[in-house]
Amino acid sequence: MLDPSAARSGDTEFARLDRRSFLRSGLGGTLFLATVSTTAGLSGCATAPAGRLDAIDTRMDTSYQFRFLTRDDIDLFEALLPAMFGPALPEQPQARRLAVAGTIERIDAGIDNFGPANQQELRRLFDLLTFGFTRVTIARVWSRWPNVSTADANAFLERWRTSGIGLFNNGYIALTKISNVAFYGGRDQWHLSGYPGPPQWAVDALPQFKTA
Amino acid sequence: MSLTDRIARGLEAGWQVTDATTLTDHQTHEADVVIVGTGAGGGTTAEILAKSGLSVILVEEGRLYYQKDFTMDEHSAYASLYQEGMSRTTRDGAIAILQGRCVGGSTTVNWTSSFRTPDQTLTYWADNFGLDNLSPEAMAPWFDGREQRHTMAPWPTPPNVNNDILRQGCEQLGYSWQTIPRNVKGCWNLGYCGVGCPTNAKQGALMTTIPGALDHQARLFHGLRAERLIMNQDRIDHLQASAMAADGITPSGVTVTLKARHFVVAASAIGSPGLLLRSDIPDPHARVGKRSFIHPVNATIAQMPEKVDPFYGAPQSIYSDEFNFKNGVDGPAGFKLEVPPLHPGMSAGVIPGHGPEQIDAMAGLPWTQSIIALMRDGFHPDSPGGTVTLRDDGSPVLDYPITDYLWQGLRQAYLTMAEIQFAAGASKVRLVHLDSDWYTSWGEARAAINSIAMEPHRVRLFTAHQMGGCSMGQDPRSSVVNGFGEHHQVSNLSVHDASVFPTSIGANPQLSIYALAARNSARLAAKLTS
Repeated sequence: MLDPSAARSGDTEFARLDRRSFLRSGLGGTLFLATVSTTAGLSGCATAPAGRLDAIDTRMDTSYQFRFLTRDDIDLFEALLPAMFGPALPEQPQARRLAVAGTIERIDAGIDNFGPANQQELRRLFDLLTFGFTRVTIARVWSRWPNVSTADANAFLERWRTSGIGLFNNGYIALTKISNVAFYGGRDQWHLSGYPGPPQWAVDALPQFKTA
Repeated sequence: MSLTDRIARGLEAGWQVTDATTLTDHQTHEADVVIVGTGAGGGTTAEILAKSGLSVILVEEGRLYYQKDFTMDEHSAYASLYQEGMSRTTRDGAIAILQGRCVGGSTTVNWTSSFRTPDQTLTYWADNFGLDNLSPEAMAPWFDGREQRHTMAPWPTPPNVNNDILRQGCEQLGYSWQTIPRNVKGCWNLGYCGVGCPTNAKQGALMTTIPGALDHQARLFHGLRAERLIMNQDRIDHLQASAMAADGITPSGVTVTLKARHFVVAASAIGSPGLLLRSDIPDPHARVGKRSFIHPVNATIAQMPEKVDPFYGAPQSIYSDEFNFKNGVDGPAGFKLEVPPLHPGMSAGVIPGHGPEQIDAMAGLPWTQSIIALMRDGFHPDSPGGTVTLRDDGSPVLDYPITDYLWQGLRQAYLTMAEIQFAAGASKVRLVHLDSDWYTSWGEARAAINSIAMEPHRVRLFTAHQMGGCSMGQDPRSSVVNGFGEHHQVSNLSVHDASVFPTSIGANPQLSIYALAARNSARLAAKLTS
């Protein structure tokens, strides 16, 4: 039977990232094992979806119910998105916050349809990036994500993009792909790619767009 | 004329369609035949069997979406119509897998290209897998029949600029090109095939064989996952299926038991081997899940001096087979050249990058043209394909190692695509590759491509064509089913989808699936009604 809550063997992409990259990066197996068990111990509480967030605390629209991303994940994307989209984001601070928040909500909504296997992969990746010890030793990001500058976030993305280790490249693709699709695919950002949207004449002619 | 929705009318007229997400009680149903999957293979099978008077139950894990849901919107379409919310990849994450998960399967979201199985492929199958009955002559009437059923014809409208640039480049270089046959009726030339045809012009399973089957009293369950075929001695007794919860993804706990005389599996080249493996169907030579092929795809993008608007117009209308069989059917990897549509979300997800470079690339989208190469895998000893296995939770996953043989073909394809784009007047070209810069001349591009790293993840790879995994062949030691899709070991089990192909097709596979399913279903219907 397909049971999405079933325990998995760890033979997944980012489980192997833990394993291989740690060994290859020279930190050694003992340290690695300690890390994984610590991470696993933490994941029970760290993986609770953020649900509805307090607007003052998070700058986000409280009407959105997060189904996958945790508060730590949201911190991660709040740090990464300015490095990915900075000059394309509105300059006005409130509009900029809204654009980032809306993109993070669309990332969450997208992941919600990924299904258990890929959600598990992303959970491992996000835990690895947000748990302090692995954030420092594997991602080489020294501060907690809320304190990471856009330049440092960009440096992290560049390291993973140009790394000779395929699993880091894969992590880079995972982070940028879900963000790129959520951002540029969003109606509010269509203008950035000169996309006018579906032809208006077709929208006007088709029954599914007619409001009752 | 296409504005009276076929599905809405049928539902109103009392088609037997059950949304399994609404079920609250365990239940059992029975029919002559249970068909798992509603795509090219399952839809064809259902219509032919139902029309011959057999009672049919169709099982679809995805949901029934139709015109009212097709709003030309990327986000909602990727979330609802594609496997794993468009996030499906090979196990190592190196190859993105585009595959439908809805009634109609991938035919609901494909780009309508409709090719017969190439003669070279059919001949190769006859020579290598004992499939002499599938010769081009023997298959011709089945292709004819399916071309009529799905209204397939070369696209009569001028290609959009995106496709025309492939034509122009080939013309300049003396490479052959042709017009793509499409399965459309009254197409508005909008460009939204990949997010569910908004006008009902696309004649995929959703507009043809599924309504045809339902008109003949077939019963459809959607939102219902086929978990396991349960054997009783040497025959399958029933299918155990799980209703999905309202999210369409997690099981609700309601179990549906489906009994039948015969079972047809048509759940795709990933889903079908997955179901057989989960069911522990006899597999004495361990063939299930082996020889999986995907037409690995790589891509280049070009900036053109003229407006391309690659998000509008029939997505695929021109192709080139110049390099498909050039070096023989089993020589160095051949590839078919086509063009992808580029909507903003898809483009941003496919073109790897972030920051100012990505912002610039996306700002150039209206002037962006792209070519894709589909590698013809499975015809050479160094192209043995991938393997479908089960994850711990029972879901199927594809491992697909890229061999040196394929890397060479992919590098050659990069060269050819860049050459064509420059010949058509591109101002700059880049590879869809982590290390690629923009190149401003063919010479610069050629030098860079000859030395660029051909490695997993760095080369961005895709597949929209999943084939194999339940290979057909004469010899039970090297195949799962015979040339009629009949399982070698289990007499009341057939496989009617792309999973039976013993190699890749060398062309977009939908017509190959329709035609073989039609042929094998006609035989099955005769058997079951006699």
